[in-house]
Amino acid sequence: MAAAKVGVRVESVGILTGWGRGTGALPPDARMAAAGRAVLPLARPALEGERFRRATRECLLGVEAVSAMLAEAGLERAAIRGEGTALLFVTAGAYGPSNVGFIGARSGTLHFPYTAPSALSGEVAIEFGLTGAYVILVGGAPATIDALWQAGLLLAQGRCERALVLVIEVFEDCEALWRRARWTLPAPLVETAACALLTRGDSPAVYGALGGGAGPLETAVEARAGRTLAAAPLVALALARAAGEPAARLTGSWRGRRASIELAVAGAPARV
Amino acid sequence: MVTPLGPDLDSFWSGLLGGGGDALTAIERFRTDDLRVGRGGEIKKIPAVASGIRSRAVALLVAAAADLRSRARLGAAPERIAVVVGTALGGVEELEHALAEDRTPRRAFDALYDAPAHALAEWLGARGPALTVSAACASGATALGVGADLLREGAADLVVAGGYDVLCRFVLRGFDALRSLTRERVRPFDRRRSGLLLGEAAGLVLLARERDVRGPRLGRLLGHGSASDASHVAAPDPEGRGLAAAIRAALSAADVGGGDIDFVSAHGTGTPLNDRIETAVLRRALGPRAEAIPVNSIKGALGHTMGAAAALEAIMCWLAAREGLIPPTAGLEEPDPLCDLDYVPGTCRAARPRLMLSTSLGFGGCNAALVLEAA
Repeated sequence: MAAAKVGVRVESVGILTGWGRGTGALPPDARMAAAGRAVLPLARPALEGERFRRATRECLLGVEAVSAMLAEAGLERAAIRGEGTALLFVTAGAYGPSNVGFIGARSGTLHFPYTAPSALSGEVAIEFGLTGAYVILVGGAPATIDALWQAGLLLAQGRCERALVLVIEVFEDCEALWRRARWTLPAPLVETAACALLTRGDSPAVYGALGGGAGPLETAVEARAGRTLAAAPLVALALARAAGEPAARLTGSWRGRRASIELAVAGAPARV
Repeated sequence: MVTPLGPDLDSFWSGLLGGGGDALTAIERFRTDDLRVGRGGEIKKIPAVASGIRSRAVALLVAAAADLRSRARLGAAPERIAVVVGTALGGVEELEHALAEDRTPRRAFDALYDAPAHALAEWLGARGPALTVSAACASGATALGVGADLLREGAADLVVAGGYDVLCRFVLRGFDALRSLTRERVRPFDRRRSGLLLGEAAGLVLLARERDVRGPRLGRLLGHGSASDASHVAAPDPEGRGLAAAIRAALSAADVGGGDIDFVSAHGTGTPLNDRIETAVLRRALGPRAEAIPVNSIKGALGHTMGAAAALEAIMCWLAAREGLIPPTAGLEEPDPLCDLDYVPGTCRAARPRLMLSTSLGFGGCNAALVLEAA
């Protein structure tokens, strides 16, 4: 299997899950801690401002995830503003609530643009003034691994100075639909919003489209966080960073396909 | 490909050249009586190869893939073949069924936006990366760019890339509510333009590294670029700053200047705002030669095919270069003084462009550009 190599380094990861903020909130055993609950939801963030009054919960979670990443890195908003920051957004189904709401006429017809996955990253781009390149992928954990790899490419090719990989997964509003897939996706489904900040690094990222079996981090994320779908690789990155690991090998599968990537993880304060 | 103009590449091309008419008709597949507008670029007959497929999105992709396979061989190991498709709507029509009459797990899973891409990969026997790009109506352009990246970096040896979308009640109701649809003819860059009409299509190309190409090729993808407006979720930036940045990025990636471009395939939706902004951006990007460079929009002929649009427009560019003909901007009869570039009205024009630019915009402030070269 051929692998693509680009120099990339993970500077910071911010995560919010249905368990709470950061990896410290994750229980040792998600299934046991869920105590039969099918979905662990995230509360709608209480963000101030007229623009946020009509924003969807998913959009607000995206904003919160980026804020959490900035706090983790000790960075101000100005550090990511402008054309130098690429935004790579991934989700398996965060567009679901707005789609279901629009079909069921629960949301107003003018809400239609928010049915697009790009509306979620669009709101985040507006909030933080991100005017650089973007990639928006839909899928499970392999899509996030693809996005991390794409971020590395954008950095290596000089198409950005830094890249944000943002993942939002929500389940509560469409729980009945997700429960139909409970044999494929056993509980608990854990809502997650996560953002990683990547910069150029010395160590090449090693990407594989087939990737072999589940790595230790993938197993650990599923055990501790539960099912977070596309967010799982970022939760894995956060766990690796919290453990002081210099590098992380991320793996993930979805619809019978696997992907993997190895990334350098910074332990020191972010340099952007 | 499969489009409202016909079931394959040949019908697409002949339809675009055919005298400035359009394939926009009354929609028959679902009810529209409660909407302001009930017309669009509807594909009336799915090609036989895909006729038994339940999901219309998958059926369109399979029909397009069958047409592609009749023209090009997938000569690589299955695990080295990637699929990258762009879509604005994915399997959303399946979601409508999942919420209504079909409570099966399969239908729920097919409602996710990435389901059709995986179904296409399965149909093709492709076992490499299977990616779904969803950057609204700019999806197809980004899909081609991501596909090229996979090749360039050695993550795949062949990439089936492009875009698709289905004209369904969900999207028609949405654009109808936004008052974006016209009750008249779609007239990109025309003084009387009053909105867009939607269409459905799937367009795929086979991407390979230059050194691996054995047979004739359609053209080259030299560069792609994207940029966020960070301005509004549903409307383009009033100054077109994101589009300008995307064009700059694509030109830079291709290592060419705006003045080197011979032909532009514009997003050209036929909405008052888009066409005016796009004209201003193109004028700046193309430089002093801007007025001498032919520009067209094919959305007057087949409607706005959303996730498929940029892929169809890239293919149109390559065909224009190969055939020496630029299709006209169907519906353009009375040029708008505010849209003062050479928008190829009336009939097709004899020209053989070498370097071409294609532009796309979408909800969420997505802007994308491709720089293409003749074979």
